[in-house]
Amino acid sequence: MQEDNKKENKNDRRDFLKKGLLGGSVLAAGAIGLNRVFAGEKVKVVSPDGKVYEASADNLKEFHPKPVTNDEARKGIAGKKFVMVIDESKCDGCKKCTEACQAMHFTESDREWMKVFTMKDSDATAPYFFPKPCFHCDNPPCTKVCPVNATFKRQDGIVLIDNERCIGCRMCMAACPYSTRFFNWSHPDPKQTAAIGDAPYSPESSYPRRMGTVEKCDFCPDMLRQGKMPACVSSCPMDAIYFGDQNEDAVTNASGVTVKLGQLLEDNAGYRHMEELGTEPRVYYLPPKNRKYPIPDVKNAEKGKKSKKMPGMDNGAMQM
Amino acid sequence: MTNDNFDLKKEIAILEEDCLRPTRTFGRSTQIWVGALLVVIGWGLYCFIHQLSHGLGVTAMRDYVSWGLYISTFVFFIGISHSGTLVSAILRITKQEWRRPITRSAELLTFVSLCFGGIQPIIDLGRPDRIANLVIFGRLQSPLIWDIISICTYFAGSTVFLFLPMIPDMALCRDRLTVVDSRFKRFKKWLYTFMAIGWTGTKSQWHRLEKTMNIMTIVIIPVAVSVHTVVSYIFAMTLRPGWDSTVFGPYFVAGALYSGSACVILGMAAFRKLYHLEKYITPRHFDLIGRVVLALTLIYAYLNLNEYWIPAYKMATAEGHLLSDLFYGSYSKVFWTCQFGTVLLPILIMSFPKGRKIGPLVVTCIIIAAGAWVKRYLIVVPTLLHPFMPIQEVPAAWSSYFPNYVEFSVTAACLAGIFLVITLFSKIFPMMAVWEVAEGIELDHDKKVAIEIREERVITDETELARIATLKNGQVTPTASLNETL
Amino acid sequence: MKTKSTINCMHFLRGIALATTFTVLFGGSTGAQNDSKPLLVCGVAKTQEQEPVKEKSEATIGLSYFKKADGSKIAVALIKAKNEQRKFAPAKNARVGFYAGQGKEQKLLQSLTTDMKGEATLTLSNNLPLEEDHSFTIVARIENDPLYQDAEEKIHLKDVDLKLLLNSDDTARRATVFVTETDKDGKPVPVKGVELKFYVQRMFGTMPGGDGYTLSTNEKGEASFSYPKKLAGDATGLITVVVKMEDNDQFGNAVAETPVKWGTVLAVDKNPFPRALWEPSAPMPLVLTICILFGGVWSIYAYIFVQLRKIKTEKINA
Repeated sequence: MQEDNKKENKNDRRDFLKKGLLGGSVLAAGAIGLNRVFAGEKVKVVSPDGKVYEASADNLKEFHPKPVTNDEARKGIAGKKFVMVIDESKCDGCKKCTEACQAMHFTESDREWMKVFTMKDSDATAPYFFPKPCFHCDNPPCTKVCPVNATFKRQDGIVLIDNERCIGCRMCMAACPYSTRFFNWSHPDPKQTAAIGDAPYSPESSYPRRMGTVEKCDFCPDMLRQGKMPACVSSCPMDAIYFGDQNEDAVTNASGVTVKLGQLLEDNAGYRHMEELGTEPRVYYLPPKNRKYPIPDVKNAEKGKKSKKMPGMDNGAMQM
Repeated sequence: MTNDNFDLKKEIAILEEDCLRPTRTFGRSTQIWVGALLVVIGWGLYCFIHQLSHGLGVTAMRDYVSWGLYISTFVFFIGISHSGTLVSAILRITKQEWRRPITRSAELLTFVSLCFGGIQPIIDLGRPDRIANLVIFGRLQSPLIWDIISICTYFAGSTVFLFLPMIPDMALCRDRLTVVDSRFKRFKKWLYTFMAIGWTGTKSQWHRLEKTMNIMTIVIIPVAVSVHTVVSYIFAMTLRPGWDSTVFGPYFVAGALYSGSACVILGMAAFRKLYHLEKYITPRHFDLIGRVVLALTLIYAYLNLNEYWIPAYKMATAEGHLLSDLFYGSYSKVFWTCQFGTVLLPILIMSFPKGRKIGPLVVTCIIIAAGAWVKRYLIVVPTLLHPFMPIQEVPAAWSSYFPNYVEFSVTAACLAGIFLVITLFSKIFPMMAVWEVAEGIELDHDKKVAIEIREERVITDETELARIATLKNGQVTPTASLNETL
Repeated sequence: MKTKSTINCMHFLRGIALATTFTVLFGGSTGAQNDSKPLLVCGVAKTQEQEPVKEKSEATIGLSYFKKADGSKIAVALIKAKNEQRKFAPAKNARVGFYAGQGKEQKLLQSLTTDMKGEATLTLSNNLPLEEDHSFTIVARIENDPLYQDAEEKIHLKDVDLKLLLNSDDTARRATVFVTETDKDGKPVPVKGVELKFYVQRMFGTMPGGDGYTLSTNEKGEASFSYPKKLAGDATGLITVVVKMEDNDQFGNAVAETPVKWGTVLAVDKNPFPRALWEPSAPMPLVLTICILFGGVWSIYAYIFVQLRKIKTEKINA
């Protein structure tokens, strides 16, 4: 009886999410912000079918949203073409995006799926911050070379990895010109494994991670299915990252400001990183003009280096 | 005539005995050698199991240098495997008589290095347990799948190519070895009988053998070229500076031939010394194959020029950083040692007849083989350390690479595996194609007798028929005179 | 005035989605949950670490009221507290009491805890105690919280009604909104001078409909806006027109929305997974090339195998 109830609820919830959130319409259900629960206390909870129940906090169980099937995760969300715009004139290099991403995906601290580079294109030009997620290219060099279709391009433009199929040949890492991919060289960190708990694996959440497979920025597709933006976007305090659907010609930043994508790129001379490679990235950049923060100190970036300086990289450290 | 015939039979009998002798003994030194190899393999296996259970994190590879010694070794071993094709197939096609004593060892080298080269990417896999995915979910768009297809094709082809000329020898072993005292007599008897596939030396059997040999000789060359071209595609199909090169296919093929033929010389020298084959493998052989290696080294040097001089002239941004690191950065010492020490120096040495004498040639070939291996490393690693995006704020281990003990141990085990298989092979099978060398002796010793022997076989080749016809008339052809020096 | 907190519509949307992911198991496990246990919210477990706080930190409350398109009403309290850097930052895990009414008539609606964004959202019922002029008062209060100092915020608002009418004339695409409030007699009265914003619903937010999308109502309580022709719609050309009243002193926040086929029709790929180098199935020329090249070689191998079989069988014939 209880099991049935649970199952039903889950199914309902999925339908609910599909109908209610993917359509992008305003939701009808009420909401209760809930974070801390006290034992024995009565709390109000919204069930998947939108009804409000009062339940004892003791009976409130942790719930892992059931991920979509592998087939569904490979197809992606129909009718969408996700796109990101990063405004270099707003980014002050605070790395909140990196932190949010790491918390979202339970990555170890050395894995920066969203990495903030300090770039300096030439001696005379000014340095700027360059947050770099996966570019989710439309001509993706990585999925081309995958021998087992473990990394794939979805119809919504997102490039994902199926860690339960990946054989760990690292051909995609060699092929990616943006050093976006990371490899699980060893057993995952037990702390992170504990934090993940018994969450089922899905290519859309990229965890629990599997040793010997490749991982990277996934544009948080599990969040997108819930109508929410990727962790890096919604955590940017400078509103420097926009995210949206190219088909809707709109992108939204952390403050919820939604602007016309075409207009934004036109007004700010938007560009894509290393366009000459022909990879057709789905991430656009706005040049660091009229920046809203002091010019980054390149020396600071050097100081912050966890690594010893590469020999023979005198200028290379700041290369394009 | 009969006296001549008697001498010839005696000579062939001596040849057969010389070839079969090593297969009957398993001396103390061999035992020590095999034992030592097994120790190396055992340690490598232990390291590999360690790597399997703890992940590739036990190697020195990290996220920037995600391919290291294993993939370099893969390219090197696959390169070595080109030797068999070159010496055997190309020399067969061009009807070089001096090929006869060295084809077997060359073909064996192909077979073995292909076995151990082929497993390198599997050792390098993060999830070797999921290897079946390559078949279940294989994508034809991936250069790795091309690799698997062409390496499998080449492996099948080179196995056949090794096996075909062995059939008459297997019959010989089957007929001889069983009457002589030998270790593993029963096993050997079964093996030889099985591998001789009922060879009795009938006319039609010889005819079929020659026909299949001719076909394989032609087919194996493009297959071999495809293998190393496709190996280069693993790198050349990416956008990375240093790999994104249109010359990579021929560059890799030339590099493979250059290092492979050098290894053939090393094999020749080893067997000559160890199995006392000085009578058959002569300084003249070394001189001739030395010329071949010289020619291949020149081609390789030419492609090196293309590979480095063209981008160096332009110094495009990312490629420029890589090249400056190679030319006068952290890799400059190794790079220039490779270019001058293992390409230009061998060219100089081998250009002089004295340099093609056995001693200097063997030393030169050791330099070439080592240099080729290091060069593979120089192709794989520095490129990975010079990505388009700067390497910033990463753990120190990510921004540099030098193979650690696990990688060295596993690679050493693979090298030991190559030596072990060659050793065991040479202890079971004759290391020279007895019938081919005998045919050479026959041709050389007494042309008329040779004609009689050869006439018993069906000869389809027109030029061969014409040559035999001239021999019948008592004239000496240029080819025959060349053979006299053998 | 703190009442005018700049909580955007997006915030309560997030809150809704957060809450919907909980499953309630009536009569389920009775194991008591302690505070440090990770609680999974929308697939993101966050270990709730309680920083050792010696003193209660100073806190402020921003209280907002939203009337949604379907008529449901919510109140959102945003709690900010001074952090170690002595700057106000969103405070999680703060207990907020929501009260209705003024003075002695005040009645506790519910007590809630703020989420990671420092927000607590309360769904208001329809029988909220109203005053004579159909206005109501909501008070949010931090009382005896172990982490934060006491604070209070009050809003006094009136109920408002937004009626959205769309002109189906294709050339004009006019959206007209009538804003009315209820007077003492319970009759609808037009409201003049209310600022309205005309948006289009997008996946992650509402996008301004075009230039001059902010308008004020006239004496009739009416404001109308012409939507531009080029607005990306879905596969059927459907867009959702959203009109918002934001942070109004008198009425708080209110929304009206209607879907309409004013957008450009989205051309959907008939086959989103064509044969391509980066897709699962390879382009035919590639497949054919590989098949012909290697098929050719393997058929020669097969021929050679047949020949070897013949060598074996010919022994008997000989």
